Amino acid sequence: MSFSVTEPSVATKWFAGTAVMLYAIITILPLMWIIATGFKSPADSIAYPPKVVFEPTLEGYVNLFTQRTRLNQDDLDALPPPETWYDEMVREQGQVITGRSRYGERFMNSVIIGFGSTFLCMVLGTAAAYAFSRFRVPLKDDLLFFILSTRMMPPIAVAIPIFLMFRQLGLNDTHLGMILLYTAVNLSLSVWLLKGFIDEIPVEYEEAALIDGYTRFQAFYKVVLPQAATGIASTAIFCLIFAWNEYAFAVLLTSGTAQTAPPFIPTIIGVGGKDWPAVAAGATIFLVPVMVFTILLRKHLLRGITFGAVRK
Amino acid sequence: MSSFINGLLRLRRGPWEMVASTLIALGVIMLMQPFALALFTYSFIVTLTGTVTFIIVSHFPE
Amino acid sequence: MIHTPMDKIAEATPEPLARKVRGLSDRAIAWIFVAPSIFLLLAVNIFPLIWTIRLSFTNYKVNRPNREIDFVGLRNYERILTDSDTWMTMQATAHFLIWTIVLQVLIGFALAYLLNMKFKGNDMWTTIIVFPMMLSPAVVGNFWTFLYQPQIGLFNYVVTFFTGGDPSSFSMIGDVQLASWAIVIVDTWMWTPFVMLICLAGLRSIPDSIYEAAECDRASKWRQFWTITIPMALPFLMLAVLFRGIENFKMFDLVVQLTGGGPGNTTTLTSIDLKREAFEKWRTGYSSAYAVTLFVTVFGLASIYVKALNKVKER
Repeated sequence: MSFSVTEPSVATKWFAGTAVMLYAIITILPLMWIIATGFKSPADSIAYPPKVVFEPTLEGYVNLFTQRTRLNQDDLDALPPPETWYDEMVREQGQVITGRSRYGERFMNSVIIGFGSTFLCMVLGTAAAYAFSRFRVPLKDDLLFFILSTRMMPPIAVAIPIFLMFRQLGLNDTHLGMILLYTAVNLSLSVWLLKGFIDEIPVEYEEAALIDGYTRFQAFYKVVLPQAATGIASTAIFCLIFAWNEYAFAVLLTSGTAQTAPPFIPTIIGVGGKDWPAVAAGATIFLVPVMVFTILLRKHLLRGITFGAVRK
Repeated sequence: MSSFINGLLRLRRGPWEMVASTLIALGVIMLMQPFALALFTYSFIVTLTGTVTFIIVSHFPE
Repeated sequence: MIHTPMDKIAEATPEPLARKVRGLSDRAIAWIFVAPSIFLLLAVNIFPLIWTIRLSFTNYKVNRPNREIDFVGLRNYERILTDSDTWMTMQATAHFLIWTIVLQVLIGFALAYLLNMKFKGNDMWTTIIVFPMMLSPAVVGNFWTFLYQPQIGLFNYVVTFFTGGDPSSFSMIGDVQLASWAIVIVDTWMWTPFVMLICLAGLRSIPDSIYEAAECDRASKWRQFWTITIPMALPFLMLAVLFRGIENFKMFDLVVQLTGGGPGNTTTLTSIDLKREAFEKWRTGYSSAYAVTLFVTVFGLASIYVKALNKVKER
C-alpha cells in the first residue's frame, strides 16, 4: 500500500466504519419491522412490549388477498370442513372467506401503469435527448429548463386543471390517463438523464457511420442506441420507480378501475380494527421490488437523483 | 463591487441573475416568515418580479 | 443556460459531412425527435397551467357546473394573501422545511464525510442507507403511523424505554406539540441519504493534491476542513439544499399519510391545505389562485436550482 498523507489512519477508519454501520442499522430498522410485521399474527403485531421474537405465520398475507367476515362458533361448526390451508387459517380466526380482496387488482394496475408509462417515456425521452445532445435545436436551453421545471411543480396544484381536463376527455380513473400523466411527469427525468448518457458517447462513431452511408436515423438506432443501453436501462428503472411510488395524482385522479397500490395500501382494514400484518404484507410485496432495483441501480443513483448533473 | 455595478449597467447575465435570485429568495422568506402579515401579503409580488426578471436576464450575454 | 464542453462538441456535425448525409436533414430529424415530447408536455402541463391561471380570476366551483362563472379579477389572490390561516399554513411549512433541511444537511454531510474515508464494506452500507429514499413515501408514511402508535409502536416503545415515560400516554402524531416533529423525523429518516449521496460526490470531487499541499504547509486538519473541504463541497451542498427545499415545499404524500394535517392544523402543510380547498371544498377558482402562487414560488426556486446545477456541472 502506498503511503499518503491524506489517507486516514486505521483507527479513524475503524471509527468511521462503526459509526456508519450503526446509522445503517438504525435506518434499516423500520423497513425490517415492516417485513417482520407481515409475518406476525394480528395479536403479536400489537403486543406490548413489541415482539422481536415471534412465531411466523402467513395470516397477514392471507388476510391481504381475501375478504372475510366473522361468524359465531355455531355457524362455523355447521360449515363443511375447510378445503385449503388458507381456508383453515381464516377459520381459526373465527372468520370465513367471502371473496378476493382488491389488492391483486391494485397491484396489477401499478404494474400496467408503471411499465406503460416507462415504455412511452423511454421512447419519447431517448429521441428528444438524442436531438438535444447532437443537434442545434432552437431555444435549446429554454426548452431544457422548461422540461425540467415541469417536474418541479407541486402535484396537487397541477392536479386541479388535470382533473378538469381529464373529466372533459373521459380520462379520469383510466389506465390511459394515468400512463399519459406519468409519462409527462417522468419525461423531464428521462430527457435530462439520457442527454447526459448520450453526451458521453463519442460523436466520431456516428460520423463514421454517416460516412459509410448510413442515414441519420440508422446511425441513431444502430450505433447510438446500443452504446446507450446501460444508460437507457438505468433511466427506465428510475422512471419505473417514480411511477410505482407516486401517490398524489393517483389518490386524486383514480378511485375505482385504475387505482394503483400506494393509495390502496393505507386503506386496508381488517375485520374489526386495523389489520397491521395485512398492511405490512401489502407494503412488503410492494416495496421489496424497489429495494432490488435500488441494488441494481447503485452505481447510477447519484446521476438519477441529480438529473444527470453529478456523474460520479 | 464596482464590477458588479458595471455588470448591471452593461446588462450582463451574472450580476443580474444575482439580483433576480436575491429577489426570489426574499419573496420566499417573506412568504414563510412568522413576523408580519403584511410581508406575507406582498411576498407573492416580490417572488413574481424575481422570477420574471430571472427569465429575462438569463438571456443576457455572459 | 447549459454550456458544458460536451454540448459544444456535440452540437456541430462538421459542415462538409452534414451535406453528404443521406435521408432527412438534421434539422428535420431534430424536429421529429423533439416534437412529440414537447407536444405531450404542452398538452399535459402548459395547457392546464394556462387554464389554471384563467380560472384563478373566476369564482368557478367544479361541483356546481351550472352556476354562472363570474370574473372576479384579483379577488382570489387578495383573499389568499391576506388570509391569516394560509399564513399559518406557510409557517407550518417553514417549520417543516427548515428543520428537515438542517437535520438532513448535518447528518447527511457527517455520513458522507465518514464514508469518504473508504473503509471496508463502504459500498454495502451506502446501499443499505439509501433504501428509504427509493421507497413510496405514502406506503412508508402509512406504516410509520404504526411505529408511532402509543404503547404498541416500536418508535414510542424505544423512546419511552430510554426516557422512562408512560408508554400508554406518549403519542407522537396525536400531540399538538410533537406532531410537527414527528413529520420532521420521518422525512429526515427518508431523505438524509439523498443529501449524503450528493455531499459524497462533492467530497470525492476534491483532488487529493490540495490536501497534500495543505499538509506541506502544516495546516491543521481542522483548518483544512474549513478552508478546503467546506468551500469545495459548497456547490454540491447548495444543490442538495435547494432540491430538498423545493421537494419539501410541495410535500404531500408522506405527511398526509402520517398525520393528515392534524392534530388541529399543526401539520397542515401548503399542499395539504390546497388539496382541501380544491378537492374537498371544491373552491376551484380560489384554489387555482392558490396553485398559481405556489407555481411561481417553485418556478423561481427551480431557476436558482438550475443555476446551481450548472455550477456543479462545470466541476
